[in-house]
Amino acid sequence: MKYSINTPEGTRDRLFAECHDRRSAQAALTDLFLRRGYAEVSTPEVEFYDLFLQSGNPVPQEAMLKIIDRSGKIMVMRPDCTAPIARVAATKLKGLPLPQRLYYTETVFRSDGEHRGGSSEIAQCGVELIGGAGKRADLEMIAMAVDALRSCGLARFHIELGHAGFFRSLAARMDMAQSQIEEMRTLIEGKNFAALGDFLEPCRDQPACAALKRLSRLFGGAEVLEEAQALAGENEALSYLKALYETLNGAGYGPYLRFDLGLVHQIDYYTGVVFRGYVEGAGDAVLSGGRYDSLVASFGRPAPATGFAVDVDAVARCRPSAELPGVTMVVHFEDSELDRALAAVDGRSPGTCELSHCAALEDTLALARAKGAKRVLVLEPGRERTVEL
Amino acid sequence: MSQNLRIALTKGRLQDKSVALFEAMGLDCSPIQKPGRRLVHTLPNYPLEAVLAKAPDVITYVEHGVCDLGIVGKDTILEQGRSFYEVLDLGFGRCRFALAVREGSDFYDTYKTRRIASKYPNVTRVFFERKGMDVDIIKIEGSVELAPILGLADGIVDIVETGATLRENGLVPIEEVAQVSARLIVNTASMKLHKTQIEDFIGRCEAELEKRRNQA
Repeated sequence: MKYSINTPEGTRDRLFAECHDRRSAQAALTDLFLRRGYAEVSTPEVEFYDLFLQSGNPVPQEAMLKIIDRSGKIMVMRPDCTAPIARVAATKLKGLPLPQRLYYTETVFRSDGEHRGGSSEIAQCGVELIGGAGKRADLEMIAMAVDALRSCGLARFHIELGHAGFFRSLAARMDMAQSQIEEMRTLIEGKNFAALGDFLEPCRDQPACAALKRLSRLFGGAEVLEEAQALAGENEALSYLKALYETLNGAGYGPYLRFDLGLVHQIDYYTGVVFRGYVEGAGDAVLSGGRYDSLVASFGRPAPATGFAVDVDAVARCRPSAELPGVTMVVHFEDSELDRALAAVDGRSPGTCELSHCAALEDTLALARAKGAKRVLVLEPGRERTVEL
Repeated sequence: MSQNLRIALTKGRLQDKSVALFEAMGLDCSPIQKPGRRLVHTLPNYPLEAVLAKAPDVITYVEHGVCDLGIVGKDTILEQGRSFYEVLDLGFGRCRFALAVREGSDFYDTYKTRRIASKYPNVTRVFFERKGMDVDIIKIEGSVELAPILGLADGIVDIVETGATLRENGLVPIEEVAQVSARLIVNTASMKLHKTQIEDFIGRCEAELEKRRNQA
């Protein structure tokens, strides 16, 4: 078997409207990022494997596409953009004042299981606010997550907020081994309602048990914050989410916001607010991000940071696909008329007019018919005429 | 958003028990029981559409979000894994995964790498990985009991209900790998976007399960 005419599993050729839809979603996002003062950075597609082992980085090793270089070092196709950008921020940008607002439009690579219909190449458009600490940085980032999906023309979507500190503070009040906490976290992340209840049954007298038992169900509108407070008592993470919500609601972002206090994925990586975007029509989150205050420090420069990435193709699939224009006119020209021919093509709306390379007008007419064009512009020295088809 | 939820049911044994559960919840399932040629069945008295599928496909449909909910055995979930919410243990379709070996053989008392036949290579791999034990795994599609009889494998990892088939073939279960039963799974995005509808459905399931527990 020669593998010369197929693309590898998880990859695909993108044609015409697909490219256009991806570009237009990217354009909407980057336009917003630029307006908010973010500057573009681009990092290598191939990086050292070690880079992605920092600070609880979420991509498992089997999902990374690996290459061994000539000297025997393990390299990977970038599975994520945040770690490389954190490296840049800690090294190349070390002389610049914080905060630094950075954005990227890149492809990340993750190998999905066989025959899952997933893509190994994921087009991401994202932002990182390096050195942004505290409430105002979180406000900026969450508002931008809402505006990012809005700028793509989406209406039916939610940005859902959680806080890594809420689960941590509850777990800290339980008398549990680390392995048990991890088991509990998995049950909460998977919203195993019943299994979580059974798991916590033996601990029912412990202080945070009631709140933990309920944690996988604590998602929805702002009312879940009240419910959580009733169960967990005063809690720093909860008060913080409430304060964020009040400010964002005051700025008109309230209708787009939801909460999921059971958002406990990648708990070693995220250190504060986490968020995800869900859109009607996409089976998984299309936007994901949060605060990761320890990652940049692992490259030698302590700096709090927050950011998010948008899955551009997933967003593009939720929007109506573009109707690309077809060719309506073909230009038949003699060599001496090249300048007029090019002017004729350039003067028309993109994609609707093209040159014919045929010497005989007959051949040009046949070509124009095959392309579905309506007319042929014939350019001869000193005159022009149009042949309607 | 008042469009119907869509649920994928595992064909066969779990299907009848799922339908029985729905009927007990007050859902009229007559379209599923008299399917005809239709593949998507709309329930007359609850905003729900049902499709029937093979177990691994239930997971695929839910994961991609073309079905909001699914009912599938824990065995398939353990083998296939992946990302969705596994909200309820529905209590029916109970059985267990077990490691079974030929009667009288001592499975662990050797330094030789053991060879295990199974329809569930991932479940088997994870089970022995947790023990820190290297084994050879052979995937068998049909009657796994045959592999140790023919001398192809030292043991099997398979679903055991009563153990009768094992005994008839001179095999004994020596260790439990996992408990299995039917689970209600939910697509992650649907859970968030159709919270009210999905919570209503889950609530009805839970009420019926609670009733069953109290009767038992």
